[in-house]
Amino acid sequence: MKWIKKDLQQFIQAKEYVDTAVVPLLPFQLSNDAKLDKDAFQSEALTVFLRELEKELTGRVMLIPEYHYVKTADKEAELDRIRNWMNDIQAQPFHHVFFITSDSSWKKHEQALPGTMIWLPITSDESADPGRMQSIIREHVQQVSELIRSYWKDSKT
Amino acid sequence: MSEGKQPVSRRQFLNYTLTGVGGFMAAGLMVSPLRMAIDPVLQESSAAGDFTNVKLAVEDITDEPQRVDWEIEQVDGWYESKVGKSAWVYKDENGDIVALSPICKHLGCVVSWEGSDDHPDKFYCPCHDGLYYKDGMNVPGTPPTAGLDIYEHKVENGMLFLGKAQPREEA
Repeated sequence: MKWIKKDLQQFIQAKEYVDTAVVPLLPFQLSNDAKLDKDAFQSEALTVFLRELEKELTGRVMLIPEYHYVKTADKEAELDRIRNWMNDIQAQPFHHVFFITSDSSWKKHEQALPGTMIWLPITSDESADPGRMQSIIREHVQQVSELIRSYWKDSKT
Repeated sequence: MSEGKQPVSRRQFLNYTLTGVGGFMAAGLMVSPLRMAIDPVLQESSAAGDFTNVKLAVEDITDEPQRVDWEIEQVDGWYESKVGKSAWVYKDENGDIVALSPICKHLGCVVSWEGSDDHPDKFYCPCHDGLYYKDGMNVPGTPPTAGLDIYEHKVENGMLFLGKAQPREEA
């Protein structure tokens, strides 16, 4: 489910079935010319990925609006802000929280994140044609949804 | 050419030219509104009921459900976007083609054929363990309360075309 009117109306009705929140952490910057296109591409690819993932697991996953931050920002300060988000999000009974990002610098702060971090290293191959990119992303979606499902299974037993 | 024979005066020539050029410009302006008025009519007749070639030859369809993916153009107001669609396609015992929507009738996750090792010969929804028989009917006692939607289909030149997914009539 997404944070849109239609899905939220359904969410209110079926809350007990939606126990997983997915929070995208998307960096952005406009100061480093050399990396602009690469960073933007990663963000684009991750957005497509999230849309597909949400489609796959709609009935149990709430896709939280994207958390944007400046790429070079101090992670401690961002963590404070993320905790604020989580305080609000956790007003609903989510058992599983996943942070999905392409920014490897979160890896060092993994422990401090209030949930499970999934880091997707997205390669920005300029030559990759859109069709190939589609199938790569679909492959990623399959694997990540498998991972999320394994967490569901563990919590059942 | 001599002076006496000249049938068109300079003034007349300029008049004709200006009228001609002006006429072209007016015609050019008229083309887009005219197209706008006529185009939808033309398009409707050529759209052929919204069936899409899903690039699957009929002879490749077996009695084992296989997943096909395709894209359609969706127009939402002025906003056009591509939307991915999927279906599970197989031939039933009578040899008829069945194309089922993979959207779970519970809360809309994507189901897959034999998606769980614990449930062979069923469609499985990974979100809340919903199950469907091969014909797409929901297994009682699992969350879904209706059978999977069925795509309208037709065959042209040996290729499978799929249309809209229709909910089942209540039995």
